[in-house]
Amino acid sequence: MTAVPILKIEDLRTYFHSRSKQAFIRSVDGVSLEVMKGETLGVVGESGSGKSVTALSVLGLIGAGPGVISGKIGLKSDRIQKNLLEGLEDFVKLTTRDGKIMEVSKDVLGWERNAERVMNKVRGKEIAMTFQNPASSLNPYMPVGKQITEAIRLHTSTKTEQEAKERALSWLHRVKIDSPRLRFDHYPYGLSGGMCQRIMIAMALASEPSLLITDEPTTGLDATIQSKIVDLLGELKSELGITTMLISHDISIISQLSDSVAVMYGGTVFEYGPTKEVLSKRGNSKHPYTSALLASIPSAQNITEKRYLQAIEGDVLDTINIPEGCRFYSRCSRVMEKFRERCAGHEPDLRETGSGHKVRCWLYFD
Amino acid sequence: MTKYSQVSGEIGEFSDLPFWKKADSVDLAYVGYGLLIVTLVIVSYILGSFNLLPRDPQDINLQLMLAPPGTAGSLLGTDFMGRDMLSRLIVGIQAYFLPGLLAISMALFFGTGLGVAAGYRGEKLDTGITYFMNLVDSFPRLVLILLVIAAFKPDIYYIMLVVGLTNVPAVASLIKGKIQFLKQKNFIEADIALGVPTSTIILKHILWHNCRSVLIIRATLGMAEAILMETSLSYLGFGVQEPTPSWGNMVQSGANYFMQGKFWPSTAPALAILFTILGFHLLGDGLNNILEGKRNS
Amino acid sequence: MKLSSIRPIALVLSRELIITLLLLLGVSFVVFVILFASPGDPFSVLLEGQLSTAEARAGVREAMGVSRVWYVQYLSWLAGMLSGNFGTSIRMGLPVLPEVVRVGLNTLILTIGSLIVTLLIAVPIALYSAIRGPNKISWPVTMFSYVISALPVFWLGYIVIYFFTHKLGLFPLAFGFSSGGQKYRWLYQLLPIFVLGVGNGTISEVIRFFRQEIARVMSEDYIRAARAKGALVWRHSFKEGLLIPVTEIIASKMPFILGGAVIVEQVFNWPGMGRMAWQAAQDRDYPVIMGIAILAAVFVRMGSLFQRVIYVAVNPRAFKE
Repeated sequence: MTAVPILKIEDLRTYFHSRSKQAFIRSVDGVSLEVMKGETLGVVGESGSGKSVTALSVLGLIGAGPGVISGKIGLKSDRIQKNLLEGLEDFVKLTTRDGKIMEVSKDVLGWERNAERVMNKVRGKEIAMTFQNPASSLNPYMPVGKQITEAIRLHTSTKTEQEAKERALSWLHRVKIDSPRLRFDHYPYGLSGGMCQRIMIAMALASEPSLLITDEPTTGLDATIQSKIVDLLGELKSELGITTMLISHDISIISQLSDSVAVMYGGTVFEYGPTKEVLSKRGNSKHPYTSALLASIPSAQNITEKRYLQAIEGDVLDTINIPEGCRFYSRCSRVMEKFRERCAGHEPDLRETGSGHKVRCWLYFD
Repeated sequence: MTKYSQVSGEIGEFSDLPFWKKADSVDLAYVGYGLLIVTLVIVSYILGSFNLLPRDPQDINLQLMLAPPGTAGSLLGTDFMGRDMLSRLIVGIQAYFLPGLLAISMALFFGTGLGVAAGYRGEKLDTGITYFMNLVDSFPRLVLILLVIAAFKPDIYYIMLVVGLTNVPAVASLIKGKIQFLKQKNFIEADIALGVPTSTIILKHILWHNCRSVLIIRATLGMAEAILMETSLSYLGFGVQEPTPSWGNMVQSGANYFMQGKFWPSTAPALAILFTILGFHLLGDGLNNILEGKRNS
Repeated sequence: MKLSSIRPIALVLSRELIITLLLLLGVSFVVFVILFASPGDPFSVLLEGQLSTAEARAGVREAMGVSRVWYVQYLSWLAGMLSGNFGTSIRMGLPVLPEVVRVGLNTLILTIGSLIVTLLIAVPIALYSAIRGPNKISWPVTMFSYVISALPVFWLGYIVIYFFTHKLGLFPLAFGFSSGGQKYRWLYQLLPIFVLGVGNGTISEVIRFFRQEIARVMSEDYIRAARAKGALVWRHSFKEGLLIPVTEIIASKMPFILGGAVIVEQVFNWPGMGRMAWQAAQDRDYPVIMGIAILAAVFVRMGSLFQRVIYVAVNPRAFKE
């Protein structure tokens, strides 16, 4: 079985501009990822690491300027094969100084129009996304069932309202919503967070996309509900074999649900590879950041033995003032003297260290 | 093409800049124009009070009827009775200036009092204010004023009293909102805990520091409204009577000549109304954007 | 809308109705206070007018002489009004209520028409501005709207009349409703609606309001999710971004526009209650001006009620409030 990437992101850059500080916020600064067909890619990282912005960039939902400025997003499904950022070069001109992008000239309107033309055929149909705040992502003025049938009628071959309703009801049943017929006509107001999240998942899957992106599906929910959602996602994964990009800052659900994982920090990917290798606690070649992340998870043993929580020293990277060298340099505990100059001065590339395992760290360069 | 660029070197903090650098140049222009108008109005008022006019506004000179601007001795031309337009326009300000100030002061004074009481004492007063505000808003202001005119007399001060009173609930609601906001941020609690006397809290901390910009903005809008009311009423014949000029009655009496193709007697005062009200509006909006709107960092 | 949702709607609506009635009561009280405080003793005039027989009038005067307690006067006056008796016009000698309602309907046409005009101008501008963001033409357009909002509506009326009569030669007579040009009469009737719609002074505010609302709705999470779904955005944003703000504007600007109607009716000689109010104020015709004030307030409150009804009908969250 040859693995086929449904989604292939190459060197994506999405910047925002702070008018008050007259500087760029480099949210996504050269990200490359692949999501293989039938697999779940977990994207893990702290808040501000750029993982959500990456997903939004894929769907062309970045509103503020300048937005997506360079890169390639290859989508390859049964129905369509396309670079979603096709034509971007015609609308953007970059000026770099000392290797850093200092000026962006973008024909925002033209690019938007171009992107809309491309994305119209992709959104919902090929790529569906669920969002972090489920209650506020559902239209409060529309009954919940209607929002699902809308997706069905837009993107699948089901055209009549009646058929769409039947399918929607079966989806609601599948995501374990109780009394679907009753809930169908309810408005989002008054539904619990967990229920809203299930509905969003149903809505996304009902349009039968080639790729599902879930952004923080469990954040904001009660712990008990969180595990239920994780179970649901696991079930749907084995039942449907849907290709997923799962974004979360919660390492445990990433390790439970993903086949591959990408660790993001400060707008770049630090480590990438099969989950078993990247997120295992046993010493495999690993980025210092990843190890630190894993070490910081309190285990039951730590708690009973009353050990201190292992935090990562320092502050999260300021995406405006990005330092010269490795982004993790100031917080890294494994800097070796002989590498200090390199770590401080130059950013390493993503280097392959094993079968499909890539790390962006000078430690693995010789 | 939109250009985004980054400053090279140190990236500074926006909020450190003085306000004239931070503000949008458009807003500064608005405020500039507004202040110009305010100055002109005040100066004209003073000139008018002391009768320091280029020509006598009542001086009828039938020889020189409807002279265009720039004719000998008349900077802005003459009206249909040969009277100097500029002098009449300057005197016209007398009709609304003091009454307008009365209206604003009343609205601000009572509104602030009510707002502070509601913000401090709370709930029931708040419902009362909302009711009062809805009540006052149920009347078209002009109709209410006509009612007052019918019941009493067409005195501009009575009218401005109405204008002032009808603005009280809006001001009160504004102040009350500010106080609630401050309460939420625990500023007031902190003050009380520190033992600051109540009058100081209210006068200095709440009103002066936090409310003064909204109050000034409200004052500009209130003045604009007062001018609109006065000119509309004198247009309708309820204000200052001929031959005393008021911008409203000047437009009205020039109306017949307008239809004959002689626009100036009607248009000059109309333009005066336009530019003056525009000035107050822009001043209010500009100040609003600068002082209240863009609190971003 | 389902049957199950009708009961909560009815509950909320009856609450709105009660509030409206309370406000109308307050309105009547305000009007009463003004008339009561008046040196001209309008109440004798009013009550005289409300009673049709000479004996009744004499009786009232006697009774009034004895007990001029304010609440008695208020209640009897209120009772008279509620039974449809608004007194008789001093000048015209006709009963006030039917006359005022007759002209009131004309004013209503003028008012609603001009609100539509204002919205037709303001909403597209706001839409364009919110979607395109600031660009080359946004500043001139904003400036233009400010200027339009500051110019006196009576003068605008003259300009429009002049333009149509002299330049286009469509109507032989400048003022006067029944001019010779029968063919274009309907067009002439549209003029005051157009003038009031453009010149009522609220355009820049309305543009700003809509732009704010549209921009706010567009940045809502659920709109983003709808876009991600590939759905038609306008279908999702219509209710909150357009319908509700439109009703809000109608409700809140109605009093202002009614005031402007007084002026416009003067300029165009439109037979509405604004012109009647002007006449009544000059004549000190208390019953008429009182009737107009109250009817105007009723119109305003109806507008407000309309807005609340739409809001409740559209917004499922309102049920719980």
